Amino acid sequence: MPAADRTATTGRGAPGRPFFFGIGRLLKLDGRRSASGLKKAHFTQPWFAAGLLAPQLLILLFFFFIPSYKALSLAFVQIDPFGGRVLFVGFDNFRQLFGSAQYRYSAAFTLIFTAVVSIGTLLIALVFAFATDFVIRGRGLYKSVILLPYAIAPVISGVLWAFLFNPAVGPLAQLMHALGLEWDPNRRPMDAQILIIVAAIWKQICYNYIFLVASLLGVPQSLLEAATLDGARPIRRFFTVSLPLVMPVVFFLMVMNFIYALFETFGIVDAVTRGGPNGATNILVYKVFQDGFVLLDLGSSAAQSVVLMIVAVSFTVLQFRAIERKVNYQV
Amino acid sequence: MSLLKRWRKPGRSTARKVAGVLALTVAMLPLAGGELAAETIKAEWWHAMRGRLTPIVEEMIANFNAGQDKYEIVGVLKGNYEETAAAMVAAYRVNEHPTLVQTSERAFLTMYNSGAIVPVPELMAREGYDIDWDNFIAPVAGFYLVDGKPAAMPFNSSTPIFWYNADNFEAAGFPDGPAETWQEVEKQLYAIKEQGISECPMSLPNDFVWSLIENYSAIHDQEFGTKANGFGGLDTEFTFNQSPVIVAQLERLQKWMNDGVLHIAGQGLNPEALFISGDCSTITASTAMHAAVESGAQFDWGATFMPHEEGMEPMNSTIGGGALWVLQNKSEEEYEAIAAFLNFVASPETQAWWSEQTGYVPITNAAYDMMKGEGYFEAHPTREIAIVQLNRGTPSDNSRGFRFGNHNQIFAITNEEIQGVWTGQSTPQQALDNSAARGNEVLRQFERLNAGG
Repeated sequence: MPAADRTATTGRGAPGRPFFFGIGRLLKLDGRRSASGLKKAHFTQPWFAAGLLAPQLLILLFFFFIPSYKALSLAFVQIDPFGGRVLFVGFDNFRQLFGSAQYRYSAAFTLIFTAVVSIGTLLIALVFAFATDFVIRGRGLYKSVILLPYAIAPVISGVLWAFLFNPAVGPLAQLMHALGLEWDPNRRPMDAQILIIVAAIWKQICYNYIFLVASLLGVPQSLLEAATLDGARPIRRFFTVSLPLVMPVVFFLMVMNFIYALFETFGIVDAVTRGGPNGATNILVYKVFQDGFVLLDLGSSAAQSVVLMIVAVSFTVLQFRAIERKVNYQV
Repeated sequence: MSLLKRWRKPGRSTARKVAGVLALTVAMLPLAGGELAAETIKAEWWHAMRGRLTPIVEEMIANFNAGQDKYEIVGVLKGNYEETAAAMVAAYRVNEHPTLVQTSERAFLTMYNSGAIVPVPELMAREGYDIDWDNFIAPVAGFYLVDGKPAAMPFNSSTPIFWYNADNFEAAGFPDGPAETWQEVEKQLYAIKEQGISECPMSLPNDFVWSLIENYSAIHDQEFGTKANGFGGLDTEFTFNQSPVIVAQLERLQKWMNDGVLHIAGQGLNPEALFISGDCSTITASTAMHAAVESGAQFDWGATFMPHEEGMEPMNSTIGGGALWVLQNKSEEEYEAIAAFLNFVASPETQAWWSEQTGYVPITNAAYDMMKGEGYFEAHPTREIAIVQLNRGTPSDNSRGFRFGNHNQIFAITNEEIQGVWTGQSTPQQALDNSAARGNEVLRQFERLNAGG
C-alpha cells in the first residue's frame, strides 16, 4: 500500500511541477524581485494571455459592447417601436433631453441620491462592522439580522417599504403621525425622496458589512495589541490602525455603492414611488426604463442611456484617479 | 450511413435485420401518435386581463378550445396594458411575437400606424368569415371604425362610472345615493367626512386622468385637442388647458384633496381595493370593476352615472378598455386559428357571456339585445349604466373619443404634471399648460415619424 501511494504521488507530481513552473515562467513571476510589484508581471506569449482573457472578453462583448453599440445607434434616430420607420435626427434627442426641465431635475436628484446612498451606506456599515467585535452575546444573530436584507428581492422589499410608510395604512407612517410628524410620500416630494434613499441604503448595508467585517478580521491582532499598549482606546484604534489597513476595501465599496445607487436602485424606485410624486424620485436609470420600455420612446431612452453610460464611466475613472492614490495596497 | 453499412455486413441474419426495423418502428410509434394528436393548430394571444378578469378570460379561451378540436388558443397574461405592449413590441422586433395581442384603446393610433398589423376585417374576409361590422353599438363604432371598418377587433370596452358605498350615503342622510351634479356630490362627500362616517369619502383612481379629466372633458363637450380630438388628422394640438371648465375641475379636485375628502392610495395599495374594502366611500372607475366588486364588497354598494356640472347638459362618455390586434409575419395556420377565435369572440353569445361575467359593456347591438331579452339589466341595473352613459345624446367632435398618437405617453405626462398639483408645486392651470405643451411635443414627434404613412 505505501509503495503504491508513493508511485501515485510521483505520477501526479512529475508532470505537475513543470506545468506550474511553466506558468511562473510565462508570468515572469519572480519571488526575489517582488519589489517590482504585480503590475510588472506579464506574459511572454500573447496567445496564452488572450486565451485566458477570452471568456471575460466574450461576456463583455455580449453584455456590454453590443448593447452599447445598439444604444449608440438608437440615440441618433427617432424610431417607431416596431422598428418599421427610422428617422435620423442627429443630436435632436440629446438637445431635447438637455432642454427638458424634467431631465435636468432628474439628473440633479440622481447626483444627490447617488452621493447620499453610497456614502450613507458605507458609514452605517462601518459602524455596524466596528460594533461587531463588541457584541458579545448573540453575535451570530446580530450578523444574521444585518445580512438578512440581502436575501430579499428588491421589488419585494420595495413593496414592504411602500406599505410600511403608506400614510393611510402603514404602521410606521401612523407612528410618525402619532409623534406629530407630517408624513405623506404621495404629496410631499421630500418624504418620497427620503423614503427611497432609506430603502436603498437599507438594501445595500449588508453587502458593505460583509466586506468590512471580513477585512477587519484581516487586521493583524499584534498591531491592535501594540496600539492598546500605547494607550489607544477602541475608537482611536479603529481610526488609526484598522481603517487605514482596510482602505482598499473601503475604496472598492465606494465604487460598488456608486454603481449600485446609479443603476440597481431601479427596482426600489419602481416599487416604492414609481418616480413620483411629480417626478421627484425619477432617477436617471428609472427614467430610461420608463421612457424606453413603458412609453416606448426608444430614441430618447437610448440617448439617456448613452448619457448615463458616459457619467458612470467618467465618475468611475475620476474615483480611481482621485481616491486610489490615497489607498495603500501594501499590507 | 454507418448504420446501413453495418446492416449490410455479412453474418447478420435477416431475422435480426427485421427485428431491428421492427424495433425502430415501435420506437417511432409514440412520436407519430404524438404528431397525430398535435394536429390542433396553436396560436398565441397575449392579453392584459389581470386580477378577477384573469380566470374569466381563461374560461373563455377554454370554452373556445373545448368547442372544437382543430385549433388551440394559448392565452398568456403579460401584465398590465403597458407591460403587454412593451413585451409585444420587443417580441415583434425579434420575430417572436404572438398572433393576437390585446392593447388599450389608448394605443389605437400607434397600432394602426405601426405597419405591424393585419386589419381584422381583411383577415376575416380572407378566412371566409362573415362579420357584420355595422352591428357595433354607436360609441364603439365611433371610436374603432376607420372608413366603416375596424382595424382591430373591439373586445373589452368600458367607460368610467361613479361607484359608491350605499351604507355610507344612507348614514350621512342620503338614502338615494349620490346626486347628479358635482356641486351636490361635493356637499355629500363633505358631509360624509364631517359626520365621521368615513375618513376617505373618495379614492383617487390611478387612471384618474382617464375618468376625471378626459371623460369629464367629453361629458361636458369641451375641446381636448384640435381636429376633433385627433380624429381629423395627425396635426392635432392639445387645447384642454384653455378650457376654464377643465381647469375648474382640477381646482375642485385639488380643494378636495387639501380638505382630506379625496385620497391618494399610494404605492402598494390599489385605490379600487380601498373602495371594495369599504375604506373609501366612492371612486370613479371602469364598469369592468363589477367583477371585483360583486365578488369582494361586503357592504351595500351602488353605481351611477358620472356626475356633471350644474347647468350643463351631460354628453356621452368615451370608450376605454382594449381591442384585439392581429400581428403580421405569422403562419397561415395561425391566422386560420385566430380567425376562428375572433369569430367566436364576435358571436353575440360570447359577447353577452363576457359582458355578464366581467361588467364590460356588450359591444354589439345583437349582444345588447340578447341581454335585454334575458331581462339581465332588470336583475343587474348597475350593468346598464355604462352603456346608457356611452349612448347619451348625440356625440360631438369633443365627445366621440380621443385619437392621439402615443397617447399612453401623453397620459403619463399629464399624470405626472397633475401630481404637481397634489404636491402643491404647481397650480391647476400651470399643470394643464405644462401637460399640453409636453403632450404637443409628443404629438409632433409622432406626426413627423408617421408623415409618410
